[in-house]
Amino acid sequence: MKPTPILKPRQSVGVQIVQNQSVLVLPALLICTVFIFIPAFLTIFGSFYAFGLTSQNWEPVGFGNYVRAWNDDVFWIALRNNIIIVLGSIVLQVGIGTVLAAVLDRGISFGQTFFRVIIFMPMVISAVAVALIWLIILDPNIGILNAIVKSVGLSPPKLGWLGDPSISIWMVLVVAAWQYTGFMMVLILAGLQAIPNHLYEAAALDGARGFRAFWSITLPSLRNVLVVAILITTIGGFKVFDLIFVLTNGGPANATQVLGTYIYLQAFTLTNMGYANAVAVVLLAIAVFLGWLQLKVSRRS
Amino acid sequence: MKPIIGMLALAPTIVLCASVASAQEIKIWTLVQEGMPEFMEGTISTFEAANPGVTVVNESFPNEAYKTQIQVALTGSAPPDVFFNWAGEDAARLVRDGLAADISAYGASGYAKTVGEGWLSSFAFDGANYGVPTDAVSKYFYYDPAFFSDNDLSVPETFDEFLATCQAIRTIDSSIVPWPLGNSERWKLNHVITMLNQRVLGLDALAADYALTAPDDELFTNPGYVEAWQKVVDMQDAGCFQDAPNATSPEASRSMFAAQVSPMIYCGTWCGNIFQAEGYEDFEMFRFPALTDGAGDPGGQFLVPQGYMVSSKSEHPELAAAFISHIVSDEGARDFAEQIGGIVSNPALIDEVDGTRWFKFFVSDIATATESVNVIDVLLDASVANAYLDAGVEILNGTMTPEDAMTTIREAALAAKSG
Repeated sequence: MKPTPILKPRQSVGVQIVQNQSVLVLPALLICTVFIFIPAFLTIFGSFYAFGLTSQNWEPVGFGNYVRAWNDDVFWIALRNNIIIVLGSIVLQVGIGTVLAAVLDRGISFGQTFFRVIIFMPMVISAVAVALIWLIILDPNIGILNAIVKSVGLSPPKLGWLGDPSISIWMVLVVAAWQYTGFMMVLILAGLQAIPNHLYEAAALDGARGFRAFWSITLPSLRNVLVVAILITTIGGFKVFDLIFVLTNGGPANATQVLGTYIYLQAFTLTNMGYANAVAVVLLAIAVFLGWLQLKVSRRS
Repeated sequence: MKPIIGMLALAPTIVLCASVASAQEIKIWTLVQEGMPEFMEGTISTFEAANPGVTVVNESFPNEAYKTQIQVALTGSAPPDVFFNWAGEDAARLVRDGLAADISAYGASGYAKTVGEGWLSSFAFDGANYGVPTDAVSKYFYYDPAFFSDNDLSVPETFDEFLATCQAIRTIDSSIVPWPLGNSERWKLNHVITMLNQRVLGLDALAADYALTAPDDELFTNPGYVEAWQKVVDMQDAGCFQDAPNATSPEASRSMFAAQVSPMIYCGTWCGNIFQAEGYEDFEMFRFPALTDGAGDPGGQFLVPQGYMVSSKSEHPELAAAFISHIVSDEGARDFAEQIGGIVSNPALIDEVDGTRWFKFFVSDIATATESVNVIDVLLDASVANAYLDAGVEILNGTMTPEDAMTTIREAALAAKSG
C-alpha cells in the first residue's frame, strides 16, 4: 500500500500577491540601503570619532563632537539661519505663491497660462545658475540693483547686498523666493482648481465675495495643500546648500552660514570629518522628523 | 590537427591579452589654467612617444573644486597617479596621512638633474622628496602707467607712499577706486596680510607661530600681527579699496582694472594674461611696497611653489615620477613657461622662451628677490587659516578691530595646537 502523499496546502491568491509585492520592493530597498541607509549609518558611526578627510586614524570621542556642536557659536548661527530661511520662505514662497495662485485662478481673465509659465520659469533653472544670475544683479560695482536704487535717489548698502552681514541672509531669502515661489503657486493653484465652484456661488448669494470669499472658502479648502506646501518649504529650508554655497559660501563672516554649508566647511575645508558627521546627524534628525511629519499629514489629507 | 586549429583560433586573444598586460596607464590631475590644455597635450604626446605602451590620461579641475576633489580622490580606490598640489601645509598633510608617495629614489635619474635643491625643498619632508615643483606663482601690483603719468603720480616704493597714492587718486576723482579688492572668496585679503605680516614682523618671527611650535603663552602674541592688520585699516581709511570688497568677486575686481576703471590692482603673475585676454596690456608692475619701520626684509617677494606629487596608491610610481621628470626637463620647462607663463623651477632654456613682456619682467624680477614669502592659507593649519580669512572679512566690514582679530586667531591657533 502506497503512503498517501502529503499535499501542501494551496496558498491563497492574496498571499501570493503579497509575496510578489515584497519581491517588487526589493530593488528599491537595495538602492535605498546602498545609497541612504548605509551612508546614514556610517555618518552616525563617524560622528563618534575624530578624524580628518585624508587621515587613516579614527580616534573615538564618544559624544565629544555633539558637545562641541553645543558649544560652537557658528553651529547655532547656522541653525538659526536655517530657521530664518524656513520661516521666511513660508511667508514669501507659500504666502506669495497663494496670492499669485488666487489671482491666476479667479483674479484675471486673460494670459493665465503666460503668467503661470513666467512665474514658474525660475523653478526649472538650476540653483547654481540662479545664484550666478543674482550675483551679477547684486554686484556692488556693476549690479543692476544698485543702479536702480541709486536712480530713485536712495543709497544702496555700503558693504554690498551680499557683503553686509546684517542684510545678506535676507537677500538669500529673496533669491530663494524668486526661484521657488512659482512652484508653490502651481501646487496651490492645483488645490484651488479642485474647490467646487458652487461653494463660491453659494457664498456670493450670501454676500461673501473677494477677500471675504478667499478667507472663508479658499483658505479652509486649501488647508491640506497649504500644510504640504509648508512642509516642503520647511524641509527645503533645512536642506538648502547650493544657492548659499554659490551666492555667499556662508559669508560674510558666517552671516549666511547654514547647516549644509557648515558641514561642507568642516568636512572639506577644515577637514574635521568627525565633527562634520555630528552636525550632519543633527540635520538628518531634523529632516527625518520633518519627513515623518509630512508623511503623516499627507496620509491624513 | 584539432589542437593546432584551436591554438590558431586563440592566438588573437592571447596577443590581445599580452598587449593589455604590457600597456600601462597613468592618470594625471591638473588645474584648469590658461595654456594648460595645450601644454599637457604636447608633453603627454612626447612622453608617450618616448615610452611605447604607456598612456597618460589628463583630467583638469577648476581651482576651488580641486582642493576638495583631490582629497576625496586620494582616499578612494582609484586616485590619480600624478596630481597637482601647492607646497606647504596642503602637501604636508597628505604626506602625514600617507597619501603621497616618497619619490626620492627616482630623483637622481630624473627631476633632480634639472630642478635645484632649493626648489625641491618645498616638497621635501624629513629628508625625502614627495613632489617636484614645476613653477611658482607670485603677486605684483599692476598699474596703469598712462593714468599715473597723466596725473603726475609716481610708483610708490614705501607703504606710506602707497597710502599717499591712494589718497591722491581719490583727490583726483573720488569715484575712482584706486585698488579694487575682490574679497568675496576671502583669499584676496589673505594675500595682502601675508605680505604685511612679512613686512612688519619678518619671516623668522613668524615661523614658530605659523608652525604652531611657539609656546602657548607666546603663540600669535607678537604686537606686530595687530600692526599688520592695522595697515589694512590704514589702507581702507586712505580710500584704497571700494566700499564693498567682501561683496566683490576677484573676477569683477580684475575686470575693473582691465577696463581701466581702476588704476591699480594686486594680482598674481597669472593675471597679465587675463588682462590681455580682456583687451588691456599696457600695464606695468611694481612690488608690494616696503615698510620703512618694519622688521621684515623689504626684498621679500610673494612666491608660492606648486608642482606635482605621486599618489601612494599608484601602481606605477616609477612611471609617474618619470612623467613629472619629463615635465621639468629642460624642454618641458621651456614649453611650460612659454604656454602657461609660469615662473619655472628649471630655468635652463628660459632664454629660448618667447614669452610676454610681463613674463620676462617676472622672471627677471623674482630672480632679484631676497626672500620668498609663502601665503598663509597654504602655510597655516586649516582652522587657523580659516580664522585669518574670517578676520579679514570682519576687518574690512568694520565689525572687528585688529586686536579682536588677533584674539580670535590666537584662540584658533591654541585650539589647533592642543589637538
